[in-house]
Amino acid sequence: MSDAVLPPPLPPSLRVSAVAPSISGTLRQLYLKLFLRGRSSRGVQKGGAPKSVRARLGYALFFYVILGLLCVGFMGQPVFALSLYIHSTTLMFLAMFVASSAGEVLFNKEEADILMHRPVPSRALLWAKISVLLQVALWLAGALNLGALMVGIGASDGGWSYPLAHAASTVLEALFCAGSVVLMYQLCLRWLGRERLDGLMTTAQVLLAMATVLGSQLAPRLIGRMGKSVFIREDTWWMPFLPPAWFAGLDDALSGGGAARSWALGGLGVALTGLVSFLAFGKLAATYEQGLQTLNERANAVKPRGARRWLSALVSSAPLRWWLKDSVARASFLLAGAYLARDRDVKLRIFPALAPVFVMPVILWNQDSSTWAQGFGIAFGGVYLGMAPMEGLNLLRYSQQWQAADIFRAAPLPGPGPLCHGARRAVLCLITLPAVLIYALLALALSREPSILILILPGMLALPVFAMIPCLRGQAVPLSLPPEEAHSAGRGVRAIAVMAFSAAIPSLALWARSAGRLGWFLAIEALLMGTAYFAMRRSIRGAAWPSIE
Amino acid sequence: MISLQRLTKRFGTQTAVDALSFEIPSGQIVGFLGPNGAGKSTTLRMLTGMLEPTEGAATICGFDLRTQSLEVKRHVGFVPDSGAVFESLTGLEYLEMVAALYGISSAAALPRIEQFITFFDLGMDTLGDKLLGAYSKGMRRKVVITAALLHNPPVVFFDEPLDGLDANAAVGFKTLIQTLAREGKAIVYSSHVLDVVERVCDRVILIDKGRLIVDGRPDSLVAAHGSGTLEKLFTQLTGGSGLERRAEDFAKTFRS
Repeated sequence: MSDAVLPPPLPPSLRVSAVAPSISGTLRQLYLKLFLRGRSSRGVQKGGAPKSVRARLGYALFFYVILGLLCVGFMGQPVFALSLYIHSTTLMFLAMFVASSAGEVLFNKEEADILMHRPVPSRALLWAKISVLLQVALWLAGALNLGALMVGIGASDGGWSYPLAHAASTVLEALFCAGSVVLMYQLCLRWLGRERLDGLMTTAQVLLAMATVLGSQLAPRLIGRMGKSVFIREDTWWMPFLPPAWFAGLDDALSGGGAARSWALGGLGVALTGLVSFLAFGKLAATYEQGLQTLNERANAVKPRGARRWLSALVSSAPLRWWLKDSVARASFLLAGAYLARDRDVKLRIFPALAPVFVMPVILWNQDSSTWAQGFGIAFGGVYLGMAPMEGLNLLRYSQQWQAADIFRAAPLPGPGPLCHGARRAVLCLITLPAVLIYALLALALSREPSILILILPGMLALPVFAMIPCLRGQAVPLSLPPEEAHSAGRGVRAIAVMAFSAAIPSLALWARSAGRLGWFLAIEALLMGTAYFAMRRSIRGAAWPSIE
Repeated sequence: MISLQRLTKRFGTQTAVDALSFEIPSGQIVGFLGPNGAGKSTTLRMLTGMLEPTEGAATICGFDLRTQSLEVKRHVGFVPDSGAVFESLTGLEYLEMVAALYGISSAAALPRIEQFITFFDLGMDTLGDKLLGAYSKGMRRKVVITAALLHNPPVVFFDEPLDGLDANAAVGFKTLIQTLAREGKAIVYSSHVLDVVERVCDRVILIDKGRLIVDGRPDSLVAAHGSGTLEKLFTQLTGGSGLERRAEDFAKTFRS
């Protein structure tokens, strides 16, 4: 406090500014800045800027452009087929983006303390948020549809008017998507309350994100198999029920065949987009402030959480009770389990990232119908499932509440080993075990020869060792790193390197099976993996806390 | 300046604030006290337009809380106990944004912000370059206090304003609010640090379970109840009697 000099009286010019800045403009700038920088910079060390969200956005846009180029598979097809594909993809990605951002942007609890006591009309606040959401949604839609603009010109009934028509329908689609999510949020908040809405939206986002990742893995292969045999017609009876078909109809009406049915679909799209926009951005805007106030009120209500009860029951029953005798490992298991079950941020990071791990084995089965190839696919799939605990444990280290993990260092623990073991067991029990069971059931359902299922065993024997790898040097302490650091390419490279090395396991298993020595192979593998497992466990137990800067 | 008539807030079946009525004229610093869960923060949130009252009425500077909430907001400054800020803005960006929300241009706000920077020893470089997420708790609190006073409001609500401030900053802050009150501002000061309240406030309003318990000058209330200090008066009136004995008994359980 310098000399405790009080500020002089406020100059009159400050009370009413000659050129008063616009509140809407200020808010739009604020939300765009917050979006581009991220909401939290708690991970920032002194003076440093956050990891650039702009750069990440740039990469995302680039990825979207590349993904959009997959529509070349529709070269020479009718406008309606091309547009239906690209509008479906766009709607899926936009819905995922808007749904994942809307909760944070529209109804942010912390924001109430910053803005709600200031003279900001609720309508201006809502509009500023929506305009930024729309702006970014349009960037993403633009990137995804860049390829389609060119491909559409060469469609069987397309032409030079396609880019213009498609740009217009894409803007409409973005408006429809943002409006639908905002409308759903406002209605659900009224009917369900914030807490249940959060749970519902998180589940929807996780499922949508997983579906998107699965779709992006499977779609190129399906398109590859389609060849020239794509038959999508606008007069199928169920077309009016598909929102992407409305916008595809608009494309077809304006720049394609122009069938009466396409005009009807396009008209339906325009009308419904208008209605959704009116309800979301107009009718409900007046009650937005009530929604924000509800948020404040809900903050006072504390409800018992079901997840706590089933987790407690799980760890206090056999066999987990025996496996989690160490109290620190048990506490770490409960912490990791609670975040895997409840925390939106953690769930949205982990489950979509695991989706490719689960889809890869299925893709491998479909590569070739020969028994040998199927056997290799099943064996490799089993080994590939080892990625699930590796990726899960790696990503479980990141949390928005990472600073709370200081309590682990403050506790009288010689090292992070027991914490890593607790988290590892949580990931194995809550993520990997269900995945393995589903995989085994799928393999059983799809395989022509049930005895081939024994080839999953080599992967299962290696799985505990894979789960140990992220814990080496005590690096798998749950929720201990800022989420900004989760976007490291090194993590993915390490996982791919481990998996490439392990690709030898299924080949050797198949060779041993064909030579009638699978039993010997399994025994030797069990011995090697067991040795590696206990050596790693010992090393993790002795790991010291890594230094923090 | 501030007038409450049977102001009530219910969350479902739970009554957080129960028919609270009092008036605060300009130039007064009022300590707004109560135990945890008494309804202090809910009352402050209603008076700053953040929560809608269930029943009753209130006016701030003559503006009705229900029908003229934007006018009310223009005339109040609020330092919430959470100290929440947008962490990915720099301090300067944040303060310029707040100024703009009150219709103050950057050019007009900047000299004023500089005065606060000097007063709080913040440093223009820090404020301009560092993101708020990297600020210490005390520095962040100084920014939040600046944001509450930047538009020179006639009514200011402080909820635990000294939380995180160092001793020097706290002394300066106390002098600041006393001077602001002499200049004619009405100040509501909510805190659990009762010796500070006793020294700074002209008047104390104590609530418990949402209801008004006592309202008067700290010295008069202490004398009338024969408590000796405001802290003892507080425990006496809010069911805290015998706490010292209970604490001693509890401490004995730590003996090995």
